[in-house]
Amino acid sequence: MRGFYAFIKKEFLEQIRTFRLWILLAVAVLFGMMSPLMAKLMPEILSSMNMEGMVIQIPEPTVYDAYTQFFKNFTQMGTLVILLIFGGTLSGELSKGTLINLLAKGLPRRTVLLSKYVAAVIIWTVAYALAFVTNYGYTVYLFPETDVKNLFFSLFCLWIFVCFVISLIMLSSTIAPGSFGGLILSAGALVVMLMVSIIPKAEKFNPITLASVNVALLEGTKSVSGLTLTVSITILLILGSLIASILIFEKKKL
Amino acid sequence: MENMDSLMQYLPFLIPLVILQLALMLAALVHLLKHNKYRFGNRVLWVIVVAVFGFVGPILYFTVGRSEE
Amino acid sequence: MEILELKNVSKRFGTLEVINDLSFSVPEHSVFGFIGKNGAGKTTTMKMILGFLAADQGEIRVLGEKVSYGNTKTNRHIGYLPDVPEFYGYMSPREYLRLCGEVSGLNKDRIVDRTNELLPLVGLDGVNRRIRSFSRGMKQRLGIAQALLGEPKLLICDEPTSALDPVGRKEILDILSLAKARTTIIFSTHILSDVERICDSIGMLHQGKLVVQGSVTEIKNSYSTDVIRLEVGAECQTDQISKELKQMNFISRIVINENKIDIQMTNAEQYGMNILAYFVEKKIPVLKYELLEPSLENVFLEVVG
Repeated sequence: MRGFYAFIKKEFLEQIRTFRLWILLAVAVLFGMMSPLMAKLMPEILSSMNMEGMVIQIPEPTVYDAYTQFFKNFTQMGTLVILLIFGGTLSGELSKGTLINLLAKGLPRRTVLLSKYVAAVIIWTVAYALAFVTNYGYTVYLFPETDVKNLFFSLFCLWIFVCFVISLIMLSSTIAPGSFGGLILSAGALVVMLMVSIIPKAEKFNPITLASVNVALLEGTKSVSGLTLTVSITILLILGSLIASILIFEKKKL
Repeated sequence: MENMDSLMQYLPFLIPLVILQLALMLAALVHLLKHNKYRFGNRVLWVIVVAVFGFVGPILYFTVGRSEE
Repeated sequence: MEILELKNVSKRFGTLEVINDLSFSVPEHSVFGFIGKNGAGKTTTMKMILGFLAADQGEIRVLGEKVSYGNTKTNRHIGYLPDVPEFYGYMSPREYLRLCGEVSGLNKDRIVDRTNELLPLVGLDGVNRRIRSFSRGMKQRLGIAQALLGEPKLLICDEPTSALDPVGRKEILDILSLAKARTTIIFSTHILSDVERICDSIGMLHQGKLVVQGSVTEIKNSYSTDVIRLEVGAECQTDQISKELKQMNFISRIVINENKIDIQMTNAEQYGMNILAYFVEKKIPVLKYELLEPSLENVFLEVVG
């Protein structure tokens, strides 16, 4: 357990001193401010482009537009940023050889993997919370009506999806070689899941659904109970990825 | 003009956003001008990336461009 | 007690047999020089001892405990210095040693005490810069400090001096000489003068096996044939001389380097006369006649060459 704490501390120090933590937090706040503003200002910007008397009819933006922007930013750019920030966390150490000294001291490999995962999830959670608080603040000021349904479950869905992405990075890093191996393989896996999501029948079983139903949940067109299967499958996939990555890592040549 | 007015009305909301974007860009520019080793690419490429691609540029620089050395 | 024991260890990479039925043991409080050409399998052997590579056959024991591949508990007895140690460049040496200490389960006070002992030992006392700005020699010295932190029973150093300049090499050897009082050291290298400086016993690895093993003095005396070095006039036909000398059956090997002729032979005191007689008879001017000290280099060349 002491190895676990020591390594988590090292992970935080690394994220701070390599600026990655600050980048992620800055992007989170940026998304939080940007999403409601974009929703609010888009009609104004569009109507300012006066095209020869053509009248563009745009309905007054609502809080749903703000959340649509928020979730869109996080599922697209956000996932990409997460991949960039955490994609090299294990791959980089493996290709550089920085773990050798510590493993030779008897630090168990599963401790390395799990502390990396936990540190990444904590950092992601803090960034996500910061983004939401900022977003909420802006939304309350910019929109008269801010009541939505299932807000926390909707946020939870995206949160657990990104936790799944991080577990995918861990698994990919133990499989693919090179300092960008983990990043490229997990990005590839996400693209495959995105392609599979076109098939309606697979929707329930695909973790990526958790990053696409968020607004529907807020509007109430999707129900919480309809997603319990997807959430359970995603949690199982997270556990599966972590166990598989530990098993592969323990037998990896160094 | 009417539109400009309504944009002005949101200025207090826009200012922090712009400041944050500029801060990110500046941090990346300062770092990349103080160092001359990158994991790949050269200084000119990174200056362009950081200056042109909004907040994506600094993210790319700090995650894949910055050398650990 | 034997600190380290290898029994019939074999390892192949694909069709390449790297280690072939290797057996040896290292007693407590000795410095064992593990010698071999580049690619002889020194690093492979060390990685198997650390459980980083799986042995195809045989077993390895550290303090009597069997080494298992992957996660091995035996590593708690071992300090390891890789050939090119890699660190977290964003840490200071003190921060790095603290991480190492915490990972090996030392308590806070112990870590501070050990750090205060080790940093002066490796000449990094008061260096508070980040490790990324360190020179190769500094990284190697920090590597020794991290390896010695947990007071390991066995210190494994993989080519610690190979990448360094003469000053850096001397620093490392001096540090290892100091460490030798407290721990058993295995030291792989292809630089034989380093071995002669600090090792008690050696093993020479060739074609996956230890071809020579024993104490340094023992090996030098029993293996090394005597070498006579003759310096002849610059205009002499050294090729011709070499050809004629080879006719003598007590001479095993002749190495010519410009006007120096190194003659390897079985008993220099007895047969040296014969050689001189030859030069006198041929009227070849001899500038210098010297009986060379037995050296590991000669043993190595004889065994491996």
